[in-house]
Amino acid sequence: MKLPDLISTGWTEIRSHKMRSFLSFFAIAIGIATFFYTLSVLSQRYRDIHRSAVISGIGRIDVTTEHPLDMTQYNTLKEMLPEHTSLSFAPRSFYYEQFTYKNKKVGGFSYGGIMPTWKDSSFAYRLEGRFINWQDIANKNRVVLLTVYPNEKEKRELEEYVWNDENEPEKTIKMTELTSHVNLLNQQIIFNNETFTVIGLLHSLEAKKDPRFRQDREWSPRIYIPYTTFYDVQPGWREEFTTAIRIITGNESTTRMAASAVTSFLRSQFGIDEKPQPEFFREKIKERIKDARADLNKMLFLGLIAMIAGGIGIMNVTMAVIFSRTKEIGVRRALGATRGDILAQFLVEAMLLGLCGSLAGMLLGYLAVLHMAADTSQMTFSWWVVALSILIALVTSFLFALYPAWQASKLRPVDALKYE
Amino acid sequence: MVVKCSNLVKIYHAAEDFRALDEVSVHIKQGEFVSIMGPSGCGKSTLLNTLGLLDEPDRGEYFLNGIPTAKMTDNDRSKTRRENIGFIFQSFNLMPKLSVLENIALPMRYTDTPRRDILPRARELAVRVGLESKLNNTPLQLSGGQCQRVACARALANRPALILADEPTGNLDSKASRDILGLLQELNQNGMTIIMVTHDPKIAESTHRIIRMKDGKII
Repeated sequence: MKLPDLISTGWTEIRSHKMRSFLSFFAIAIGIATFFYTLSVLSQRYRDIHRSAVISGIGRIDVTTEHPLDMTQYNTLKEMLPEHTSLSFAPRSFYYEQFTYKNKKVGGFSYGGIMPTWKDSSFAYRLEGRFINWQDIANKNRVVLLTVYPNEKEKRELEEYVWNDENEPEKTIKMTELTSHVNLLNQQIIFNNETFTVIGLLHSLEAKKDPRFRQDREWSPRIYIPYTTFYDVQPGWREEFTTAIRIITGNESTTRMAASAVTSFLRSQFGIDEKPQPEFFREKIKERIKDARADLNKMLFLGLIAMIAGGIGIMNVTMAVIFSRTKEIGVRRALGATRGDILAQFLVEAMLLGLCGSLAGMLLGYLAVLHMAADTSQMTFSWWVVALSILIALVTSFLFALYPAWQASKLRPVDALKYE
Repeated sequence: MVVKCSNLVKIYHAAEDFRALDEVSVHIKQGEFVSIMGPSGCGKSTLLNTLGLLDEPDRGEYFLNGIPTAKMTDNDRSKTRRENIGFIFQSFNLMPKLSVLENIALPMRYTDTPRRDILPRARELAVRVGLESKLNNTPLQLSGGQCQRVACARALANRPALILADEPTGNLDSKASRDILGLLQELNQNGMTIIMVTHDPKIAESTHRIIRMKDGKII
């Protein structure tokens, strides 16, 4: 019998026994939903890890110190590091600050000092205007970069309730409200009683397009000023400040050497009590892959159990179908069907049930991803997950229907014909 | 010679061995219409099943169209059945969920007949048995006589050399029985070899030859 005829026969049987068919593919659907959900979420995590690794640069090390570091120290450390290493100092405050724009107080952001090399790793913004350059560093220029988050809701709120609210002139506007409403490029703001020019806007990418790993993203609005300006506008180093040191050696083999160099450097500068803990990005990635694998194994185990349950359902139904259609098997054999034809007929029928189950399962899995997976905004569905889900359902149905179908094919035509 | 079998023995092994066929030898020529008669349990259906390659004898030789069947594999037997033999059963054995047209087409689905040729051929056969107005009906919507006509058309689907009919009128009233017999006679007149098991002496008398059986033997 040709495949289209086998499919047509199988489909006729499935349609003739809707309830029985539904019950058998339901179990498969649950299993496939679990697989689909797991594979979709985890493939997204792997993709995140990969993209994050690509954009972070090879041989990245992060070290945080609670001390300020000046340009002399920058040059000293740079000398200690392997050639062509990118080094960035980024002092930052984690507290929310305020600036003034056109007599309006703007808050809801933290700030940090950066260098041009800050851009060398995990830079995932669309830059409008220009970035901070070495001249800004050397001259301690009063220039500023603002992060901009696309936010239609805040734009509307700003317009309707805040910007035009004359009753509350003292009300502080959130920076995200302001930046989503007004293009501040080349505008001037008053920060720490000094006038800064906005030289660039760092537009955040949509979560889907942001290649950084979720934990690496800056979620809070920030303003960035030149690293030297940061110290200059501060009356003094505050306790809550930290300096993030980022080193990108460009080579996996030199990271240990660079880490040891930065540790020695910090100890030489701040004494033996300084206990820097270099974080190797590669190790972080490995850790994340390990976590993802552990989750994958757990979920796949659950999916496997569900698929076995579904497979047993298919097997049970196929056995019942064969029992109730023994005479039909005899008739088909009398009309010239071979054992292979009978085997194929029941296998195709079971696989059709599996296919229906996989489609229903993927729909369930898709809904589960939409409603249950964290940060679904960045979920993307891959065709390979769809293809693999279908394949798993087909293979499960095939394997579990094989034994009953084999039994059916072994029936002697004369015995099957006598069956009532 | 379409059918040539010698000394066929078929033993059913139960508490006591039962010889369903006991040294049966039958020769049937091309174009013959032969009926097999005998009391229940005399071995007529066993003989028919053996001739139809649905069952295998324990001993003896069987040549179908001059080809020995003894060493055929299961696949060979299936192939021979679909190419050379058409079956008509007492209880019709139609597929209840398939239409008349699809039931007639079913044996062709197991052959290499191109798909585009299958339904036109099935339609042609339906016309031949007078069911052109029932093509899309299912067997449940047909009378017994009509069902048996569908079965006759289905038996002819692959242009077999031999038709084996196991009490084809057993479940039919007298008018429908006459119709089916008429149809079989017409097929026979067109050169088809037919072997029919029947209990009805009147029907048997209308065939060329009657083979009478008792206790597994031809008498």
